[in-house]
Parts: sequence; structure tokens; C-alpha cells
Amino acid sequence: MVRKKREYTVEDFFKDNKEELGLELLTSSLKGPLNITGSDVHRPAFALSGFMENYLNSRIQIIAETETLFMRSLEPGQMKEAAERIFSKPLCCIMITKNLDLPDVFIDEAERKSVPVLRTPKETTPFIHELTEILDYYFAPRTKLHGSLVDVYGVGLLFTGRSGIGKSEIVLDLVERGHRLVADDVVEILRRGDVVIGRGQEFLKHFMELRGIGIINVMDTYGIRAIRIQKRIEVVVELKDWDPGRDWDRHGLDERYTEILGSRIRQLIIPIFPGKNITVISETIALDHMLKVYGINAAKSLDDKISDWMKSKKRTRRYLRNDTE
Amino acid sequence: MKEIQVKVSNRNGMHLRLAGELVKNTSRFSSDIRIIRNGEEINAKSILSVAGLGAGYGQELKIRAEGEDEEEALKLLKKLFDTGFSEG
Repeated sequence: MVRKKREYTVEDFFKDNKEELGLELLTSSLKGPLNITGSDVHRPAFALSGFMENYLNSRIQIIAETETLFMRSLEPGQMKEAAERIFSKPLCCIMITKNLDLPDVFIDEAERKSVPVLRTPKETTPFIHELTEILDYYFAPRTKLHGSLVDVYGVGLLFTGRSGIGKSEIVLDLVERGHRLVADDVVEILRRGDVVIGRGQEFLKHFMELRGIGIINVMDTYGIRAIRIQKRIEVVVELKDWDPGRDWDRHGLDERYTEILGSRIRQLIIPIFPGKNITVISETIALDHMLKVYGINAAKSLDDKISDWMKSKKRTRRYLRNDTE
Repeated sequence: MKEIQVKVSNRNGMHLRLAGELVKNTSRFSSDIRIIRNGEEINAKSILSVAGLGAGYGQELKIRAEGEDEEEALKLLKKLFDTGFSEG
């Protein structure tokens, strides 16, 4: 389930990133006509000069050296017209780089349309990169899943399965063996590019419920090295009650995938029955996954060996048959 | 205890995927199922044993089943070998 598209108010954006981006507010209010709705930015140089087609007013407008020089080259009358053109459509905010000064007429127009104008001392290109990074993170697709995420040998394993199947016990056993808990029960997930990252819910982080014991805090109980804030999810391990009638994978030649936020993640279905040591199996899953990342596939190499062996046997037979000595 | 004779009818022989198909089917039965080739006997529910036969195209094999469902098991296995595990 993907939540509806997020919007970032300029007020929240300013509060969250003021220090990091070195922002100052040049107008009187942070409450503008639009919210920030995406991570793309727009340089309004063409709109300033009068070409209004494809003026992407819903994006953050970045004003830098080129735009400032252009405005300064105008007669006062033209300058006012240029400013009016920029504000002829509703804007979320304007960001000025390199601590540049804009003509007063421009700031006055922004004030009149109550569009917040922010300014940073940063250079334009690095600023845009930093800004995009921050906004990409904010607008990344997100969801929540029921499951437990553990970093096993550096591989993020997401355990899923019906409640009561023993996910928490597996997690605890893995932690005991030196692996690291990311989140138990509720995993918050976000996607950046093809990479799916999981983390714990803000205040539930590293708490666990164990039937019969109650709530424990993994960080307090096992120490800081037993936990991790976030981890890329690389394999989904679905735990299923053992069913002799089910076709369990026996060779692993075909890989199974599941989708999280539209990204393909390898999935394994592991049967569970009393006395089964899922911890060791989980470690093996992580190690085997790493081998596969390095291009080593045990099932394929065994299959190749079988084929080679059958071929060589055929050759030997032919040799012996033709051997009339 | 019952026995049947089968022949590998797949051009590529008993490769790993096919061995997987075979053990998937033998594992459904409670009977003890063995494959015998030239007197050598292996467990038909173990994928590595089956793949380890390296049984090529045309190889003759004996299958022996012992248990309550031995008859059904052998019937199914005969069909699988005859149809080339529907692999063609």
C-alpha cells in the first residue's frame, strides 16, 4: 500500500534544512500559495526574458548568476515586467544561490504574491545536488510491511510469514550470534532508485515483543552492536509451515522474486517445523546471496558438472566402441 | 516391495532440474523409493544422489518402492519417465 503523494510545506522544509543548506528568508512569510511537491527544480531564465512556454511554476525556482545578471541588465520598467512575469503563476518558493542580491522590485513582487524567497551562500550546482538529495529522500515512495529486518553478514534479510510463526525468535537468535536487528514486526520501507531500504518505526525502533515475556529493548539488552538504524533489503525470507504436499524448491536453479514498492527483490520460501534451525539457514541464505552477487551459483555449477560428466562418458564410450585393436 | 524398469528419455539426460522434478514427486510418497543402476542403489528422494547418477539419455534404471503407497508411486514414476517428465 503506497501512501498518497506527499507534499512538503515550505515552512517544514525551511525548519528541517535551514542549517544544512544555510538558508535565510528574505520575505516576511514562509506560507506561500503552493507546497513543494517534487524534487525537480526549475531555472526561470527564459520566463524572465519573456518566453513563457514550459514555465514549470510548480517546481522550486532557482535563481542564480545568469538570472541575476539578466535582471540587472534591464531598464527599471522592463525589470518590473520581468518580475511580474515570474510571479504571474503561483509558485511554491524561490531560492537564490551564492548570496546574490535581487533587485528590490523582485522581492516586492514576491511579497505581494506571498511567495517565500530563500537565499543560500552555496554555489549553484552543488546546492542543486544537495537540494535534490534532500527532496528525493523526502519524496521517495514509502510503505510499511509486517516482518522483521535483520542485517546478517551485511545482507539485509526481511523475514515474513504469518504472525506467531516465530519471526521474533529467529531475530533474537541471530542477534545472539552477532547479527544486527533493524526492525521487528513493523518495517518502514522506502525506495531510492532500485534500492529498497527498511528501518524501524520512529519510536518502536529496536523494541520487540516476545510472547510470554512481553516487551524487551534489544539495544539495552544486547548492546549497541546488536542494532542498526537502516538496511537495504536484499532477500525476502518467507517462513511457511511445513506442508509435505507443497513443492519446496529443491535445487534453486530458478530464482523467485517478489516486489516491494515496484522493485524486484529475491524471495525464498523456507519451511518451518519444530526443531528446525532457521538461524543457521538464515546465515547460509546471506552467504549464498553474497556468492551470487559475486557471480557464483552453486546450482548452476553443479548442473554444468553433471552435463560435462555425461558428455565425457559418451565420448569415452564412443572411443571404446571404435577401438578395434 | 515392487520394482519397475525405466529409461531416461530426455535428450540431455538426468540433469539437475530433472533430478529436482523427480525428487519433488518421490518425496510426496511415504514409501521408501530407490533407484538402482548396475547394482548401485541410491535414495530417490535425495536430489544430490539422483543428480550424482549422471544418468544420460537412454540410460536404463530400475526403480524399487517399498511401503503403503508403493504401487501409486511406481505408477507415477513410470509415467514421468515415459513422458520425459513432460519436458519433451
